[in-house]
Amino acid sequence: MNYSKEHAAYLRAIRTHGWTVGLCRVLVLVLLLGLWELGARLGWFDVFILSSPSRVLSAIGRLWGEGSLLIHVGVTLYETIMGFLLGTGLGILLAVLLWWLPFVNEVMDPYLVVLNALPKIALGPVLIVWIGAGMGSIIVMAVLISLVVTTVTVLSGFTAAAAEKQFLMRTLGASKGQTFVKVVLPAGVPHMMSALKISVGMSWVGVIVGEYLVSKSGLGYLIVYGGQVFKLDLVMASVVILCVLAALMYGAVALLEKRFRK
Amino acid sequence: MEGALLSVENVSVYYHTPQGETEAVRDLSFQVQKGEFVAVVGPSGCGKTTMLSLIMGLNPPSKGQVSFPQGPCPMGYMLQRDNLLEWRTLEKNAILGLEVQHKLTEESRAKTVGLLKKYGLGDFLSHYPSQLSGGMRQKAALIRTLALDPEMLLLDEPFSALDYQTRLTLANEVFSIIRQEGKTALLVTHDIGEAVSMADRVLVFSDRPATLKREVVLDYPRGMTPLERRGTPAFQDHFAAIWKELER
Repeated sequence: MNYSKEHAAYLRAIRTHGWTVGLCRVLVLVLLLGLWELGARLGWFDVFILSSPSRVLSAIGRLWGEGSLLIHVGVTLYETIMGFLLGTGLGILLAVLLWWLPFVNEVMDPYLVVLNALPKIALGPVLIVWIGAGMGSIIVMAVLISLVVTTVTVLSGFTAAAAEKQFLMRTLGASKGQTFVKVVLPAGVPHMMSALKISVGMSWVGVIVGEYLVSKSGLGYLIVYGGQVFKLDLVMASVVILCVLAALMYGAVALLEKRFRK
Repeated sequence: MEGALLSVENVSVYYHTPQGETEAVRDLSFQVQKGEFVAVVGPSGCGKTTMLSLIMGLNPPSKGQVSFPQGPCPMGYMLQRDNLLEWRTLEKNAILGLEVQHKLTEESRAKTVGLLKKYGLGDFLSHYPSQLSGGMRQKAALIRTLALDPEMLLLDEPFSALDYQTRLTLANEVFSIIRQEGKTALLVTHDIGEAVSMADRVLVFSDRPATLKREVVLDYPRGMTPLERRGTPAFQDHFAAIWKELER
């Protein structure tokens, strides 16, 4: 392509801007880690309390050496993915049901509002009594947290789905089922995608809290255990791994969204 | 004229809200002949749209009756906005009605695609609505309605969401499409110029509750397009007469 000089300069400026932002992002991380490590080495603070990047790395190495890293990561990942899938799946199903039955929707509305406002974590002890101190309780906790928010978000997407388009379907003689499949559901896709994004984060919260309460393995367990025995290296290492996993999973959902939006 | 296709007799419509009862339409009577192009003008919110959904059979009248003397009359509805589904291509949008009514066959699809091609949308069959101009989108919406082969078209301010130039061009095109396909049309609008340039007959409605204030028969030579009509002295006269009627 042949651009004018001005346009070429404009394109160059955009590219430069993109590069600069990316570079600065990396710099922020490097600077923070550098300061943290430097402070630890120079004795600005107590490494016993604040740990340091190198100690975090060696803690991760130790976990890997013991062969327990993959087990902890695997357990937490499994619980989170189960919680996420069940939570969003049931949440969307519930939203469909409530859209279909406006009367039930109207009746249930205040309950949904209260459930949405309630910190589901408060139900932790109840779940443990009902389901038992194990993986089941943790997954149910994650499901509870992501389910309500999914239902509320997706339902609002369905009801907002272009009243006029639904009227159009009526003038074409469509049944309720046809209107749902051809208009309401596809129009609700963007809302479902943002519900998925919220739900991913919510599942992590549910699982980690669940693990704080009952588990014998998993990253949440490592964090609590590390805190109790004052192994801050272990706590920090677990948090770092958690950061990476959460970012990866969010990225996967964002990728899915991109494909769906096309 | 081959006789009335639609007959509205002494129809009244009341709206109910918790705040009370509103009379939207009062003792309204008119007929639409087969092949006729009738326009309804009136102030905004005077119950024109209420009347269309009444004719469409979506809401029953409170009093009076709507009948079709020549037997059941399949109708197509065209809205102010095109309401094309953004996730469907133009072709898939045009066959939406056929799909819904389980009338989609090789033949009906080919016929619909034929319509799209005939009216200048042939190059855009696999485009998405967002890639088309407002005028093209509205034309596609018309063809979506025509695909079901309705006897009568109900047009609910179909041009009011468009810019002025597109509005004039599209009115011209829609007019010729309706003529070529031999459809009867009932156009509801608040744009006097639109009504006077397109219709054979204009019904002037009063403010709410809507009653029929006056009926104006437009006597242009046959075969004149809306744009050509706009240039005639008769257009000016009719325009002025209806304007005056609405002012009163």
